[in-house]
Amino acid sequence: MYIFMNQKDYLKQQHRKNFITGILFLTPTLVIFSMFILFPVLFSFFLSFHKWNMFSSSQSFIGFANYQRLLTDPEFWQVLKQTIMYTLGTVPLNMVIALFLAMMLNKKIKGKSFLRTAFFTPVIISPVAAALIWRWIYDPNFGLLNYATGLFGIPPVNWLNDSRAAMAALIIMGVWKTLGINMVLFSAGLQGIPDTYYEAAEMDGAGRWSKFWNITLPMLTPTTFFIMIMSMISSFQVFDIVYVLTSGGPMGSTKVMVFYMYEYAFKFFEMGYASAVAYIFFAMLAILTLLQVKYMRTRSGYEGI
Amino acid sequence: MKKFLTVLLVGCILFTACDRKQKQSENGVVTITFWHSFVASTILALEDLISQFEKEHPGIKINAQYVPTGDALIQKLITAIQSKTAPDISWIHSDFLADLVDADAIYEMAHFINGENGLSQEELSDIYPALMQYASLRKKIYSIPMEATNLALIYNKDLLRKAGYDAERPPQTWEELKEYALTLSEDYNHDGNYDQIGFFVPVYPASGPLSGWMMWQWVPYLWQAGGYIVNEAQTKVLYNSEAGVQALTLWKEIYNSLNLSSFTVDYDVAFASQRVAMSMDGPWNLPRFNKIMKNIDWAFAPLPEGPKKRATVVGGEYLVIFKQSPHPDESWAFIKWIIRPDVQARWAMKSGYLPVRQSVKSIPEFARYLEENPNFKVFVDQMEVAQAQRPLDNFGLQITRHIAEAIEAATLGGMDPQEALNRSAQKSNKLLKSVQNNK
Repeated sequence: MYIFMNQKDYLKQQHRKNFITGILFLTPTLVIFSMFILFPVLFSFFLSFHKWNMFSSSQSFIGFANYQRLLTDPEFWQVLKQTIMYTLGTVPLNMVIALFLAMMLNKKIKGKSFLRTAFFTPVIISPVAAALIWRWIYDPNFGLLNYATGLFGIPPVNWLNDSRAAMAALIIMGVWKTLGINMVLFSAGLQGIPDTYYEAAEMDGAGRWSKFWNITLPMLTPTTFFIMIMSMISSFQVFDIVYVLTSGGPMGSTKVMVFYMYEYAFKFFEMGYASAVAYIFFAMLAILTLLQVKYMRTRSGYEGI
Repeated sequence: MKKFLTVLLVGCILFTACDRKQKQSENGVVTITFWHSFVASTILALEDLISQFEKEHPGIKINAQYVPTGDALIQKLITAIQSKTAPDISWIHSDFLADLVDADAIYEMAHFINGENGLSQEELSDIYPALMQYASLRKKIYSIPMEATNLALIYNKDLLRKAGYDAERPPQTWEELKEYALTLSEDYNHDGNYDQIGFFVPVYPASGPLSGWMMWQWVPYLWQAGGYIVNEAQTKVLYNSEAGVQALTLWKEIYNSLNLSSFTVDYDVAFASQRVAMSMDGPWNLPRFNKIMKNIDWAFAPLPEGPKKRATVVGGEYLVIFKQSPHPDESWAFIKWIIRPDVQARWAMKSGYLPVRQSVKSIPEFARYLEENPNFKVFVDQMEVAQAQRPLDNFGLQITRHIAEAIEAATLGGMDPQEALNRSAQKSNKLLKSVQNNK
């Protein structure tokens, strides 16, 4: 059939055919992506310049009023501060413990696979169920946590009803919930370090600490970097456990950004304002991630992301 | 084959699309879709009500659809309005009235009330005025109450007796409420926390799901002290007045002296296990309490009288008719029928809700029912002093939230009541001012 075509035309046609086949294969994904991700993303950008309560069929344009109102709302800054506090509380703690556990489980110890499963289980428990369990753990009268600390003579803390303790309660649960996934990632990273380095270091008489600082940590940099960015993004976006554990209380002391956005969108039906919050928040996260990528590249020469 | 499949697919889509339209005009019978969120125990009463209506109106069929929880219902309504598949009638919380009116989604009731099959002035004024106030927005009626509720004091008679009180005389004033609350509290194990609570003050996170419920229970105290939520012109909130401070101080004093921030048991569970002596609740729980609390001696009583007057708050469910409905007149016929006194009496006795019309009390069967059910009678009698929490014409949801924040801050957060209320009022006034500026 293609005998009469020259080589170039033939290739061109093949190329076009491949392209069409490719697009056809991608269609289901593209349709779903544009309907449920691309369209909402663009539409909420449009909404952020409008006033809309979701009931009415049209949106009224109000320019930058939503953004202006947001930046002058003291509650927005309060919520931002609390979101940063939550992130600064969970991410470093989470990473240190996850690395420690990964190193412990990388050794030949008894019950290794059981322990690994045990630490990973919280990740796959539904956040709502987990938060309900933690509500009981934190109960001031019958809770396990106060019972346990009471054994050491520490006076009981009203975890969820005390505005100073509630954020700590949230952070503890947040760390517990996401520890497992980071532990598994660190484990994978550790297994990727060739034993020869350690052997060579031992020949030179390096101790445990020296091996950790000079081999393990530098070799883990790509993993650490990946975990840091992913944990920061997910901590900034925490919502479900806040909703169930504290509902943002007491006195709004655990209200985080996504919760604030949710309230305006689905409690007060101010879709435009909620969209503006979403976009400001998105911009902040994007800038933060870019800064991290840039910093880490210059520091470690890592080009992974 | 391919062609066949395509035709089949298109056929399916068309069929689903047409399904709704066809249903509504089957051999001359009009079907009215009615969305509601009644609790499971009420649905039997509703079915009884609907079958009665259909018997009297052979040309109209009611298709009642249950949507669990009011929050889900409002989400469903939003989707339905946008996709032009709104029901004919829906049950709504008046919190959302302003949004529905702004979107021009529902009829103003005057359209029907002044129509051919309308309501007379006597009939209209027979409905409790507080309910009509709750049903209106910006001085226009947009919904019709289907039933009423209000808030009363629930107390455990045995615990009152044990403390040496007359079990038939629960606290009558704020002073007595405070005194009873303290006397009825017991610390069995002497750990500094009360194991039995005299009076449960319902404080919940202002940003949580029970925020509105907390605010609803506090408002009667504001009114009892002679206060108002907002001024007549709705340009300024008044809840931070002297009355507001008094009401919040009462709550704060009881809350603090009973150390309620460490009391974490759900109040109804605690009441059923005799760990709470007094609390507040509404008539919708009567059927349930009658069933689950047989082992204890409990009763409802009117809320104590405040420094200025008696007051309680009305709630209840309100029916709206959507402009998308192809059968507004038949929908109105259903609503008009539901508020007929004899229907109201029947519905109240079956469902445990209160009738919306004052004349129902003079129906002999209902009067007899009241004598037999003293707890239910407490609520019906209280309707005389019931007030409406709304109408708030604008930003009702946010202003409710602000009040809840003040309650939480003063009780749980230990803030001075005046300061807590002022902070919230400042936020509310800022919103109300923005309405003025946009006019």
